[in-house]
Amino acid sequence: MSTRVIDAHGRKVALIEAGSGEPLVYLHGFADLHGAMGELQPFHEGLAKNRRVYALAMPGVNGSGDLAEGWSPEDVTFSLLQTFDALGLQQFDLVGHCTGGWFAAEFAVRHPERVRKLALIGAAGLFVSGELIGDVFMNAQPERGVDYKTLRRMLFSSSDHPVAQQYYPDIRGDMDVEVRRYEMLRFGSFTGFKPPYFYNRSLIDRLYRASMPACVIAGEKDGMVPLAHAHAYARGLPGSGGKAHVIAGAGHAAHLEEPGKVGEILADFLQR
Amino acid sequence: MRPVELYCWHFMSYPHLPKDFDEKYDTGWVTVPNKLWDKEKSKGLLRQYIDQLVYASQIGFDGMVLNEHHQNIYGLMPSPNIIAAALAHATRRGKIVVLGNLLPLHMNPLRVAEEYAMLDNMSDGRLIAGFAPGSGPETFNYDIPSAPSRENFWEAVDLIREAWTKPGPFAYEGKHYPLRYVNPWPQPTQRPHPPIWIPSGRSKGTLRQIARHGYSYFLSSRSHGAATAKAQQTFASVLGEYGQKYEPHRMGILMSCCVGETDKEAQEKSEEGIWYFLKNCLKGHQRREGRQLTFGPGVPYIPPEEWRDFLKFSDPTTPLLGDTEDWDDLERSASILVGSPDTVYERLAALLEQAPVGNLLLQFHLGNMADDFTRESMNLFATRVAPRLREKSKEIFARKFPYLNESMPEAVK
Repeated sequence: MSTRVIDAHGRKVALIEAGSGEPLVYLHGFADLHGAMGELQPFHEGLAKNRRVYALAMPGVNGSGDLAEGWSPEDVTFSLLQTFDALGLQQFDLVGHCTGGWFAAEFAVRHPERVRKLALIGAAGLFVSGELIGDVFMNAQPERGVDYKTLRRMLFSSSDHPVAQQYYPDIRGDMDVEVRRYEMLRFGSFTGFKPPYFYNRSLIDRLYRASMPACVIAGEKDGMVPLAHAHAYARGLPGSGGKAHVIAGAGHAAHLEEPGKVGEILADFLQR
Repeated sequence: MRPVELYCWHFMSYPHLPKDFDEKYDTGWVTVPNKLWDKEKSKGLLRQYIDQLVYASQIGFDGMVLNEHHQNIYGLMPSPNIIAAALAHATRRGKIVVLGNLLPLHMNPLRVAEEYAMLDNMSDGRLIAGFAPGSGPETFNYDIPSAPSRENFWEAVDLIREAWTKPGPFAYEGKHYPLRYVNPWPQPTQRPHPPIWIPSGRSKGTLRQIARHGYSYFLSSRSHGAATAKAQQTFASVLGEYGQKYEPHRMGILMSCCVGETDKEAQEKSEEGIWYFLKNCLKGHQRREGRQLTFGPGVPYIPPEEWRDFLKFSDPTTPLLGDTEDWDDLERSASILVGSPDTVYERLAALLEQAPVGNLLLQFHLGNMADDFTRESMNLFATRVAPRLREKSKEIFARKFPYLNESMPEAVK
């Protein structure tokens, strides 16, 4: 594993690289590496067993520079294009969780020729009437100033899950983790606060363009992105077979709670 | 020497909550169910509050203060400009301080420039124009992303100032509020423009913006002590960076006062209103119980490097004003002064000695306080505290800032 910062058309982009093989780009979410933790978690290490993994930090997060002019879905997606160009990645597998899944989908509908296979885990990004994506900003405000129970429940299957406790402990965690979490919340505020929350109304009608093989995964107990979104992605992405993989008992961060199960589905999908 | 200016600030809280509100509801903000609004009991409520401010003007306060909050029980004033319009018409003296319009919540800052110009005309040049980015709860009320709100805010302030000072029509080439034609009618009465006040915490970045533009600083804090003195010193040193000298009227703070003939009477008459305010109105805002939205992560926004410092120097278990449990706690918080005219005078004089600020913005009505005691308290203050405090402030300012006796630049007079 190595960490470095590259220059993508004048903007710093921090990334972690690991493994060898065909390239795979990983885009993180809130409860994830970069979004909270500074290094690869067992799930990401699993991806690196058969691929060269490029795990980018989103703009303004964990060492990546801010976007200069704006933070619209178009701006973020264009920054990804610039980053992939700077890395010399012509074609690659693209995997994203949560907001990372959203921007993976945004990229794939614009540049389908660059994406060999697309995998989304608990992906935000779609507007599904009556199925609002949860309010991570409200839940990030602790109760009694110290209690992150509702945030943990939103991002994991239960507030008491050991991974949930590790990522969002009560009172305060490690200072670097706290600051990363704050930077990720800030990225979320720039990109996904308005319209509420974390969607681009145009995206659902554009999914047909992402015709590469696709794999849609969601935790059965996702408290942030309702399961209806995974089904909508599966219906809209021509290469998904029309069906989402629902991980029984897992929450929004299904890949952290069930790295084995999610890793197996992905390994199977990527090797097919 | 110009004495301290004494303003009456009304928050216009909702006074008809059920007795078990604190047990049953986790917040007084954003999601507090509006089925609790009692239409019958609330008839005439806003008129009563406006009349209290008109009374403040009549008994000699230097001005009346309003602010903007949304979807809460703490302040029933989502549009302070509407109340300001009523005051402009009903009063003939006293500044009208709108502190302030929350610019990122307004679709276009030009509308604020226009409404403030109308108020300045309607009041014959008595408007003080406050601008604020909005505190934590407003992020949720209007879906205002907090991260970009600072940048939007300062651009909006620039646009408004230009709309008042630069001959129109002109094109404003802003990043967030580009406008082809800026040309508001009417123009404000005051020249070059109404005084501009900016509420802020202690962020040096904000203080620098305030200093650079010649605006005045209102310290957003309800509790006062060493931190208030520190804020005054920081502001003075930031002004120094811009070649300016501190002048007390460039800074203001908020205090609450409940004045009775004796300390005992003040306590007895204010007790219900104060505890209603602390436990209900501050729930969700400045109270640990429930989910308070005012100081949380990213709401309101500060840059990540300042967040690290905030974490280092703050303790999330420290009690807030709303966690006050008894009169002794309340006394220590130096937020709500309760007592006889002598007691309140002594406390405020000591505060000015410690933090010499030129604008005291005083809240008399708290929670569900009765109209008659609110007026009695205001009157005791105006007749038996204010005259002594004005005299004392002149002595304090002259002693601490001898240069004030020399000529001051026009901008800060």
